[in-house]
Amino acid sequence: MTDTPLSPRDEDEALAAEYVLGVQDLPDRTATEARIKADPVFADLVHAWESRLADLNGDFDEAPAPDLLPRIEARLFPAPPRPPATPIVRFSLPRWLSGVAVAVLLVLGLLTLVPPPGSGLVAVLATADNRLAYEISSRGDSLIVTRTAGVAAVTGQVHELWIIAPGAAPVSLGLLADQPLVVTYPVPPVGWVMAVSVEPAGGSPTGQPTGPVILTAQVTGGA
Amino acid sequence: MFDDPVADLIARCAAQDRVAFRTLYRDSSAKLMGVLLRILRDRTAAEDALQDVYTRVWLRAGRYDPARGRGMTWLITIARNLAIDRLRARVETLDSEGIDLVPDTAGRAETRLVAQGEARRVVDCLATLEPDRAAAVRGAYLDGLSYLDLAARHAVPLNTMRTWLRRSLLKLKECLDR
Repeated sequence: MTDTPLSPRDEDEALAAEYVLGVQDLPDRTATEARIKADPVFADLVHAWESRLADLNGDFDEAPAPDLLPRIEARLFPAPPRPPATPIVRFSLPRWLSGVAVAVLLVLGLLTLVPPPGSGLVAVLATADNRLAYEISSRGDSLIVTRTAGVAAVTGQVHELWIIAPGAAPVSLGLLADQPLVVTYPVPPVGWVMAVSVEPAGGSPTGQPTGPVILTAQVTGGA
Repeated sequence: MFDDPVADLIARCAAQDRVAFRTLYRDSSAKLMGVLLRILRDRTAAEDALQDVYTRVWLRAGRYDPARGRGMTWLITIARNLAIDRLRARVETLDSEGIDLVPDTAGRAETRLVAQGEARRVVDCLATLEPDRAAAVRGAYLDGLSYLDLAARHAVPLNTMRTWLRRSLLKLKECLDR
């Protein structure tokens, strides 16, 4: 077959279609995404392909979905600050655990580092000696958490990332393994706290930090 | 368009209506779970992605434009994009076992869509392509197959696969826009 090269217009059409089909490898896909953001004419080609192929959506079967709303809502709408403490002291496991966490933090003498200014950098979590460090940056609707120093937790354990709104319980953002963690989340407001705890493999069984909190940082700058 | 309850719910989400968000989850999560499960082929990964999809839906609801398409189409676009991003981020290796697991879906879309009395055009237009090329388009769209997967499945070099899929897509467009 003779392959006459595509015209520039057809090149763009084919690229838009490839993107919507999803056949590209990651570098090409990322480059195309950047073009969609920068080039409205090209973005329109992509939207047109989305509509053209949408008719195939009827072929996706439904599948029972678990009720993830509580987890999604906890991420999106952290609980408002608790009312001032009442005289009646009740035992609260999360509160007790966060007390433990703070104590452990003090004992270990691990320090809080704070976010340098810069494009998209939200916070840096690092030990005082910088032997373990995670960088949290923001891109679009996502936070990207990359380990910049140190190693993952030992076998059987895992580092878990938490976000804590003022006065609210910690909310898990995910587990930190060797790959950077990408989680859909807006840029956290100034004053919120990011923390890393050590949890059993698979993550905290309770939905709250159970192991020692080894890193914390307050969000200060924001992008 | 006629009434589109999903579009209405998305618009209410854009106005920070959390009750609408819950209703939207109830009404659409089974469909999106189906999309994620089919592309990611792993329940844990699909559930994790579902959580991110709805987070994204809430955050992006203000950008939804009903003039551009139905609400469910917009939701599925978000789910497919996220699933494919996750899939491509996995180490790209030629895993022929994994590829074999993908059911061959040729024909199913047509039957069902024709039964629904819509989407005749995409069906008719896919039928104008050679069958293996139409199957490649479907495999990519519905199962998240990459060029690498398609080249392996059709036993052709990657560049050949790319050339003929691109030509097929342009032909498809010509037919669909006629």
